[in-house]
Amino acid sequence: MSHETWLEQLRRGTLDLAILLAVSTGPRYGLAIIQHLEAFTDLVVTEGTIYPILGRLAREGLLASEWVEGEAPHPRKYYRLTKTGATRLVEMKTEWRAFSDKIGRLLEAAERPA
Amino acid sequence: MNLTDTGESRVNGYLFVLERSLKTFLPPDVVRDAVREIESHVRERIAAFEAGPNERAALEQILTELGPPLRVAQAYSAERTIDEAVATGRFVPTLRAIWQLASTTVAGFFTALALFTGYLASFALFAIAVLKVIFPANVGIQFRGGFPVGLGAHFPLGAGIDLRGGYGIIPFALFCGLGIFVATHRGARRFLAWWRRPRLS
Repeated sequence: MSHETWLEQLRRGTLDLAILLAVSTGPRYGLAIIQHLEAFTDLVVTEGTIYPILGRLAREGLLASEWVEGEAPHPRKYYRLTKTGATRLVEMKTEWRAFSDKIGRLLEAAERPA
Repeated sequence: MNLTDTGESRVNGYLFVLERSLKTFLPPDVVRDAVREIESHVRERIAAFEAGPNERAALEQILTELGPPLRVAQAYSAERTIDEAVATGRFVPTLRAIWQLASTTVAGFFTALALFTGYLASFALFAIAVLKVIFPANVGIQFRGGFPVGLGAHFPLGAGIDLRGGYGIIPFALFCGLGIFVATHRGARRFLAWWRRPRLS
């Protein structure tokens, strides 16, 4: 596996969590989610590819979406976390922290002088 | 920033290509919603840009960061069509995903050709099993010079055709058809899973 492929898979694996976290504090529309992710991470490589993921998360019932008109010169589609999404997010955060701790320990062990 | 007519044409051209690409594999209402959302993104970005002499450069930057329309359409495809096929393994979503790849890529076309051959062969064998029940005299193993040369149905049964095989052909055809179907379907799912992997954003 090339480094790029590995990086893509890593990015892909964490994007769902990152998107759910971005809307966990309140509803956001697509571009606001992208800007939030860009402010904290480099997970968004191609902005347009975030929208299909938002669509999938909505189909899975983790997000609910709603078009809002009149707020800006153009309509905005807002996404908010559903009850199922909130439950899933709690699980994902727990799993992420446990996973991250384990990989961190593994890295420390590998870097420790023999 | 307010766009000039040229700028509007560029945005509309982008959205047109995206819509055309999405229409090949998504239902019309989903396409409308997706294009509306992408247009909202573009308009929002444009509004944030201050009016300047180089509208074209600003617009190109916005569209480059958004990604080429075919790339965005491919992401929808990966998330929707291919995802569904890989996750569920159901026949119709798998066929739809293969069709989508066949109509957009050369590698997809040739792989789809092989996979459709497999599916067709399995359905042909299932058809033989069914036809044997309905037309027992017209379905069987065709012999030429004492050697079996084919399995199939003949309508009408020609004078020189030597058809043999009793009802044992039915379980044989069902067994072979099922075997080929399962192998082809597994191959299709593996191909879609492989295809999906390196194209993630």
